[in-house]
Amino acid sequence: MSTMTINGRLAPLPDDPDALLVDVIRDDLDLTGTKLVCGAGVCGACTVLVDGAPVVSCLMPARAAANTKVTTVEGIGATQLHPVQKAFMAHDALQCGFCTPGFVVEAAAFCDSWRRDKGTAIPSREEIGAALSGHLCRCGAYDGIFNAVAAACAGHFDGVDPNPPRVEARQKVTGSAKYTVDIRHDGQLEGVLLRSPFPHARITELDLAPALALPDVSAAVSLLGDDRMVRYVGDPIAAVAAKDRKTALAAIAAIKMTSECLPSVIGLDAARKPDSPVVFEKSSRKKAGNVSEGAGGPAPWKGNVRGPTAAFSQKPKKVRSWVESARQAHDPLLFEATFRTATQSHSCLEPHAAVARFDGDSLTVHVSTQAVFHLMELIAKRYKLGHDKVRVIADHVGGGFGSKASFGIETTAAIDLARAAKAPVRVAFDRHEELSVTGYRPATEIAIALLPFEQGDLKALSLTAHADTGAATNSTIAALARLIYPAQAKQLADYDVVSNLPPGAPFRGPGGPPMAFALEQAIDEAALRMKLDPIALRKRWDPNPNRQRLYDWAAGLDVWRNRKTSAAQTGRYRRGVGVASGYWLYLWQPGVKIELKVEGGRLIASTATQDIGQGSRTVIANTVAHEFGLEPHDVDVRIGDSRLPEGPGAGGSRSTASVIPPTLLAVQKLKDAIEQNARRKPVAGSNAPWREMIAASPDLCVTSVRPEDSKPTAPGIRSPLKDAGFMGMIFGWMLRRFSNLAVGAGVPSSVQVIEVEVDTWLGHVRVLNVQTGIAVGKIAAPALARSQATGSVIQGLGYALYEARETDPRSGSVLSAGMEDYRIPGIADTPAISVHFDEAGFDHVLGGSVGIGEVATVPTSPALANAIRNATGIRLTEIPIRPDRLISALKGRTAA
Amino acid sequence: MTSAPMTASAPRAEFRAAGTDLSERRRSGVSKGPLIDLAAAPDTIGVTWGADGAATIGALTSIAAIGADPRIAAAYPGIAASALGLATPQVRHLATLGGNLAQRSRCWYFRDPHIACLKKGGSDCPARTGNHLYSVAFDLGPCVAPHPSTMAAALLGYDASIATSQRPAISIGELLGDGSNGTSDHALASDEMIRGVRLPAPLPGERALYKRAISRSHAEWPLAEVCARAVVSSGTFQFIRITAGGIAPVPLRLAACEAALQGKPASAAVIAEAARQAGSGANPLPMTGYKLDLLEGIVHDVLERLAM
Repeated sequence: MSTMTINGRLAPLPDDPDALLVDVIRDDLDLTGTKLVCGAGVCGACTVLVDGAPVVSCLMPARAAANTKVTTVEGIGATQLHPVQKAFMAHDALQCGFCTPGFVVEAAAFCDSWRRDKGTAIPSREEIGAALSGHLCRCGAYDGIFNAVAAACAGHFDGVDPNPPRVEARQKVTGSAKYTVDIRHDGQLEGVLLRSPFPHARITELDLAPALALPDVSAAVSLLGDDRMVRYVGDPIAAVAAKDRKTALAAIAAIKMTSECLPSVIGLDAARKPDSPVVFEKSSRKKAGNVSEGAGGPAPWKGNVRGPTAAFSQKPKKVRSWVESARQAHDPLLFEATFRTATQSHSCLEPHAAVARFDGDSLTVHVSTQAVFHLMELIAKRYKLGHDKVRVIADHVGGGFGSKASFGIETTAAIDLARAAKAPVRVAFDRHEELSVTGYRPATEIAIALLPFEQGDLKALSLTAHADTGAATNSTIAALARLIYPAQAKQLADYDVVSNLPPGAPFRGPGGPPMAFALEQAIDEAALRMKLDPIALRKRWDPNPNRQRLYDWAAGLDVWRNRKTSAAQTGRYRRGVGVASGYWLYLWQPGVKIELKVEGGRLIASTATQDIGQGSRTVIANTVAHEFGLEPHDVDVRIGDSRLPEGPGAGGSRSTASVIPPTLLAVQKLKDAIEQNARRKPVAGSNAPWREMIAASPDLCVTSVRPEDSKPTAPGIRSPLKDAGFMGMIFGWMLRRFSNLAVGAGVPSSVQVIEVEVDTWLGHVRVLNVQTGIAVGKIAAPALARSQATGSVIQGLGYALYEARETDPRSGSVLSAGMEDYRIPGIADTPAISVHFDEAGFDHVLGGSVGIGEVATVPTSPALANAIRNATGIRLTEIPIRPDRLISALKGRTAA
Repeated sequence: MTSAPMTASAPRAEFRAAGTDLSERRRSGVSKGPLIDLAAAPDTIGVTWGADGAATIGALTSIAAIGADPRIAAAYPGIAASALGLATPQVRHLATLGGNLAQRSRCWYFRDPHIACLKKGGSDCPARTGNHLYSVAFDLGPCVAPHPSTMAAALLGYDASIATSQRPAISIGELLGDGSNGTSDHALASDEMIRGVRLPAPLPGERALYKRAISRSHAEWPLAEVCARAVVSSGTFQFIRITAGGIAPVPLRLAACEAALQGKPASAAVIAEAARQAGSGANPLPMTGYKLDLLEGIVHDVLERLAM
């Protein structure tokens, strides 16, 4: 048997020629800091050092490691943290942390070699970008990573251990943070799903016996619904649990089934044809998924087209007649166009995963989820168990972005298999599953008409959106145009186009980015035609007080004031500057509780929420520490466990606004209790009175519930739904009644200014700099808010420039199901990003803070397209603006 | 994704060098046959130099080593730049020159274990009538996948000869075929392996550049790529050789471009006109016409810089 030396210890290598180094490291040696993500050498999460050189362990045969020295992230900081690890902590160069170990290993090797060759010189962004080009981060922590690597190379972190702004940063940079995929119980089995190879079929017979007959296979369960239908390639059919993945794969290959294939239809254009095969008969429409954060209302269906939902329209007949008249009169101010956006995959680096384990009649499920508490309720309901018998745990979650907010098949399959096998079972999707069947932001086609009055006010606006929702419904895109730019009349119609594609899911500001892509370009075009500054026009048409302040900020930026017109440029490279606005609703979750206690002289704050990278642990720790005059590390924060008091889901940008107000109430209660129980008052003049009081306090515990916001608000601050009249009120009521989400007063807003350079020969866009102005109230954790803001921009740039799910037009098979074909931004694609926080506007919220995650990505794609328009004179109506599209547009041709 | 595979190609033994291509196909189930691991021998690893200044690179030499070799960079800058331009640092540390030449297609239909295609024993090419956004613009055979080897395109431009376990010296053309065989990515016999690559001595005064068009900044398979060598003296292209990848089932020499430059002044007008010839002879698919625009752009870019 051959061996390797790993982190200084000898370890055996398996004889299996197909064993890969990553599997030996993770499964045999339980060194779970090394992550398996893409399995194709693209993302770098599995990077380890082999004889000092960084390599992708997901592609390296284990036997090739014989007689080598291997170092994993656990070995990098084994005795003391590497300067790179300290720099990552100090610069908050991470969010969810799933990619972090790979980045740390590579950056440490780069830093060591840089220091050997160049001393403490600071590497350029280009050098860092090239060195880390084999790593991907979906949260978009690149801005912090640039700064961290530069600082580590410069020697700034050779000494002191920093106090990181993110409280769990140390676990994430050392690889000790345990994610769901890292959980391993004794006797744990591996579950794998059999998925449909057909776009549309009825599975008439399913024989699991041949799978169960194989050695080491412990359970096989059907996942078919009562109608036994599969409606897309990849629809789950069955699942098996076996001693390892290889055995489980062999078992699902042994399952026998007979099926009756049905006619199928793929995508937005085909499914809209009147004679297209119907995906959901009337009786089965409830089986469709949901692409929005809230529950949907009733809507008409015609074949595969659900809609219109047009409740947010306002005098739509007037819009039709005014636009028609303007068209007839060739009104030069009438702008009409059709915009198209691509399907965007969440691409969480930690796949959807669940590990289920029964202990008697008690069920513990580790799930990579955005909602530990709500998921516990759903599991209890489905399996008819008491809430006290179900525990959902998610200590760390490797990204979610909306796709992990629901009760997914990975969880039911793990539970069903664990029950059948009488053993713990892990189900972790592979990358093909993750990029094909776990949800996406639907592609859209948005027809827009915008008509100003001659004297310059906004007269009429029309948006008709068709969303490519696959086996799902409830897109809300056009309707969002009601809550910005008031007009005399608006016609806003949303349609879902259902087809035999996997179901879409909520994705970071569902409906917001595609709506803004169309609307904000129409506003830009209106400004051009009216010969007005696009910021000045927005200031005129958009009275929202938060954005009014952001417009003033944007108008004063040098990059904006110094922009040129497109006519001024003729060379190969052309530069342009664009602006766009975005908003999101301020949502919070009623009923959220924070428990705050003193235990053994330490403060402990608890709530059943979870941190998917947004930083809720830190927000709570900072809030408590600030009120007591302590440091964040003086507070233990317990989250990620449904046994804790009810906490918010991480979706709808609700976390911060849901946890800070009850935390502040709890702090006041606990202060009172500590004072009442104190045997003596602190020494007069003490600079840390609460530290002494807490240390001396008996154990105490208080709990507070999220209060309603105060009614009086500053002028102009009100719920945006009030601008949508009666239907707005109904919408707000439904959201609260059916989705447990309250819409608060005030509108989280973002205005972004982007400068690009277009290479007209190679159809390439280089983003030079981004200025993002954000109004979400007071910033509770500044470094983390900055990370969210820059990460949102980077994800928005991916949406605008690179990302598109590609499918086979016949079967709907997702072709871009690997990370080389589904292209998310890399570190070298990251521009300089300046973040401006405008902290006013939410004084009616206790603590003054609301969420940032969604609003910060809404304006990016139109700001970028407007910048390209400014650079080249060409308006790109379809994203992503890839080289194929841009070069065709520049040459005046239609792209394929 | 996992379900009963629909392909039924007879498992055949595959050679494995570093496995950077093969491991992904093993995991997905596209490759199922027996494996034969290649062991490094003195003649298959590292670079040896002849008295005439010609280099021979062992097949198991890593791409990173080729990219980092200062003597290669001086003598064959197009080879070094190609090596540094492909994949990612962590893949380049593992991947070998021989493996790069013998790797299989990156076509997303080929890589999907549930979809039949010519390269997996199927009867037709699903990309041709399906989604072929990244396929060829020079349609030379039944399969429309571009050849994935960046090193092959560069080696073609350097007139490299390949030593195999059965043949002492074959050309890149003989190694990869002419693109008319859609079932395979190379023309090696089933038990034939690449042992090394011999490069003729460089021409006096020659320079070379490599460039690929991609949507992001790094780490992406090329939409189109070009390696160009030139000897420019007295303001004239005394020698020019342009090869391209990512656009055809095999790497191509852009003969029409070369003809428009050979012996001509290295002027902006001559270069622009030559770049316009880049797509000469192309027959793009409905979705791949853009590759010809990109090819023209890359050729224009590298020629301008070579003429400077």
